[in-house]
Amino acid sequence: MSWMSITGYADKFSVHPEDKIKFYVNCDGPAEYQAEIVKLIHADTNPRGPGFIEEKIAAEVNGTYPGVKQEIYSGSYGFVTDKPQFRVGSVTLQAWIWPTTPRTHPKYWKHGAQGIVTKWHDGKGYGLFIGEDGAVEFRVNGEVLTTGAPLRDHAWHFIAASFDGETGEAVLYHEPQIIYALDPEIPPVRKTLATKLEYTPGTPTVIAGYTGSFSDAPQAKASVPAGILIKGHYNGKIDSPRISSKALTRLEIETMKMGAQPGLTERRGSGPTGKLSESIVAAWDFSDGISTIVGKDKGPYLFDATIVNCPTRAMTGYNWEGQIFDWKIAPKQYGAIHFHDDDIDDARWATSFEWTVPKGTSSKFYAAKLTAKDGSEDYIPFWVVPRVGEETAKIAFMVPTISYMAYANEHLANNAGGAELLVYRVPIMQQQNMFLSEHREYGGSIYDTHTDGSGLCLSSRLRPILSIRPKYDHFLAQAPWQFPADLHMIYWLEKKGYNYDVITDEDVSYDGLARLENYNVVISGSHPEHNSGPQLDALHNYQQRGGRFMYMGADGWYWVHSYHPAYEERGRGVVTEMRRCESGIRTWRADPGEYYHQGTGELGGMWRYRGRYLHTIAGTGMSSEGFDISTYYSRTPESNDARVAWAFEGLEYDEKLGNFGLVGGGAAGTELDIVDTMLGSPPHTLVVATSAGRHTEGYLLVMEDFGFNQQGLDGTQHPRVRSDIAYHETPNGGASFAFSSIAFCGALPWNNGDNNISTLVGNVLNRFMQDGPLPAPPSAAVIHRGRADYDQPLNKARK
Amino acid sequence: MIPIPRSDTDDAKRMIEEHKECTESMKGVAGSTILKCATPGDTTVVSGGIHEDFQLNRVLLRMRALPAKGKLVVICTKVEKEWRIARLSGIRGVPPEFVTDKVYDNEQDPQHDIFVMRLDEMAETDGFPEHFREGWKRRDDAWTVT
Repeated sequence: MSWMSITGYADKFSVHPEDKIKFYVNCDGPAEYQAEIVKLIHADTNPRGPGFIEEKIAAEVNGTYPGVKQEIYSGSYGFVTDKPQFRVGSVTLQAWIWPTTPRTHPKYWKHGAQGIVTKWHDGKGYGLFIGEDGAVEFRVNGEVLTTGAPLRDHAWHFIAASFDGETGEAVLYHEPQIIYALDPEIPPVRKTLATKLEYTPGTPTVIAGYTGSFSDAPQAKASVPAGILIKGHYNGKIDSPRISSKALTRLEIETMKMGAQPGLTERRGSGPTGKLSESIVAAWDFSDGISTIVGKDKGPYLFDATIVNCPTRAMTGYNWEGQIFDWKIAPKQYGAIHFHDDDIDDARWATSFEWTVPKGTSSKFYAAKLTAKDGSEDYIPFWVVPRVGEETAKIAFMVPTISYMAYANEHLANNAGGAELLVYRVPIMQQQNMFLSEHREYGGSIYDTHTDGSGLCLSSRLRPILSIRPKYDHFLAQAPWQFPADLHMIYWLEKKGYNYDVITDEDVSYDGLARLENYNVVISGSHPEHNSGPQLDALHNYQQRGGRFMYMGADGWYWVHSYHPAYEERGRGVVTEMRRCESGIRTWRADPGEYYHQGTGELGGMWRYRGRYLHTIAGTGMSSEGFDISTYYSRTPESNDARVAWAFEGLEYDEKLGNFGLVGGGAAGTELDIVDTMLGSPPHTLVVATSAGRHTEGYLLVMEDFGFNQQGLDGTQHPRVRSDIAYHETPNGGASFAFSSIAFCGALPWNNGDNNISTLVGNVLNRFMQDGPLPAPPSAAVIHRGRADYDQPLNKARK
Repeated sequence: MIPIPRSDTDDAKRMIEEHKECTESMKGVAGSTILKCATPGDTTVVSGGIHEDFQLNRVLLRMRALPAKGKLVVICTKVEKEWRIARLSGIRGVPPEFVTDKVYDNEQDPQHDIFVMRLDEMAETDGFPEHFREGWKRRDDAWTVT
């Protein structure tokens, strides 16, 4: 069954009026497709809500285009173009490897031999490989030496091979670094080969793959180098690969482990000894340039490898000692790159059409809608964002694009058996999931593990991202999630007639406070979980200077993200990085020593463990999650406080707030935030409504909130499994309202936007969007407060 | 652990009936759980199901924790209109395969049918030493999320 014959992406998330945006479309089947620019208003197809709403925009690019198939060549590798120095008569290859899938299932998507260090194509050249049987192979033209000993996965091995072009003698070494009691010995394999090395012109030297084919097909231009299709993508780490132009002895190979070592002789030859320096062709050192996409060659020819598809760097090497955990301090222990056969940094498709956004185009959610006569359809979302200083509204909606990238092409329902425990029902997959389940080349999300089972910590926006689509229900919620869920809020803004701009995480991360300060109020998305440091700084500075903030969701400000600096020239925010370190809700867990980002070198993990508590951003922070059903809020006496009572005008005290909605059937659901003055909520925060006591057993306290596994952590028992709607003032007439539930915005469209959640949000927005500072709170509210004042024994003692 | 009740026992019949009432009551909710809505399609007041039937609760947890290979899932084949039951391959890059021809017109009925199918498919001794397999040595129990 074919699921999606049209897919596409754009070169930008965020585009300014008068700038150009390029669209890249794969149309696999239909002879032509129709493209039209639409404004997106509501993405949720649920029949109990307003339904899907889009508005066609009269754009010059609207029209019919020929259907062209485009392919993604995923899988990371390094390569050096064909150079005469690699076309040797004798050769020695060596490297440390830590393979993760030396053997794969026959149905595995890239089953077959894997290249380690190769200059080999179609029976010509040389290379170290892992054979289909999982054993190390040395190929010399069409001849193959193999140990026949399958490599142990997730363990370091030293492998080397040499071929003497004069004598024909070939040797292959496989030396496991971890040896258990019952492991058979793996002796060197020797064979005399009656062959002379030959080469196919144009064959690059490849690390973590080999040259599969040369192709003139138009779509092969998306491969790197263009027209050369790399095959045999390797899964696992490679450290210190070397190529020498002689058949080295085992002792010489041992010395060559040291690499070029130019400092070892006063004449500064390329070392490691004067004699060996004569035979070095390349000696790569991946510990140099960890934040780049270049594999440095320290040998005499400076054959730096181009690293394609952004494998994971800042990975512990074979020599990591477990004493230093930051690669910046001990880079030499971080000389490994972990390559994956599903890494993807840029689909590199040919441009299908491009649109210059006309001056005066309203700042909103848009998409290029692509349809074919056979019923195929896809949407490529983008956002028109005003330039700084050219804002067109008092309200800004901050689109959580980093979070969208973190969830991009997420595979959990398909790969993670345990995902059903999380959602407390059988997951429901949609056409996007089905397409991705057989098109692993589209890459995964930062929630997934790679096809080799290791954690996926880098996500690119230069590929079709099928989770950022309208009409898409996510298995977590059985309802819209992230992008389509944020359109619940957009529908409400449109329905109520508010004039608003949209800005993205990307814009705020790059422009800082300037991006925010001209707005009276900034509105977040429903789940702004993944954030860069500059973005959080900007939000804090904005509120400090009197800005107003509406936090429309939950589980925000949770994970440390950084944009990879090596991709800046392709645009803003192309690749985002995140590491899942020692705590937090983690679908995978980083290995020891691998917590620091390869791009910026900063410590990854939760902002909480960088000393930046989630609760400091908007007043509440993540406390629990559950995905079965949602519930409603009740007001607390603090909602009657004169500081905040205006928010409840038109609402009865005993009203059930939000016992309806398009996410879980209630406003309080999926992921929930609470006030905690010990975790950064300002001491003057008012809890105005709460969902305490109403959640199901499917909701569980977050693991960073307890230090000991014990019963009583679920929604039917634990007092912290709840959502708190909270308010606090910030200096200079600013304020923050936190609605603290991902499901919250799903209640806004209910009854066409006429409901008590809509009334509450409307009261807050109307006050927050006014010009000038907010009215000062009653003077009696200005008192000294400690963080621990709310502790019961202390309160009693004071009385 | 408690044994997985055989389909023909009174326990199984009680659980199947309770499960059915819950899924019926959840029709119309964007989401679902095995609890009964006092008003169908409205989660304001929920009771019964996993919160009150301990055996049903435990059996469902064990079903949810089954390994990915061969695990039953629901596929939405037409948005808001059609759903079918499929099985995960457990192999990266190999998509789920449909296991029945039945096409559902709502999200909740396949949830119930999968519950009944799993009662039939799971061994009574599931999770006990009788079911030891080598996969236990490298986490094929799939309790971790990925």
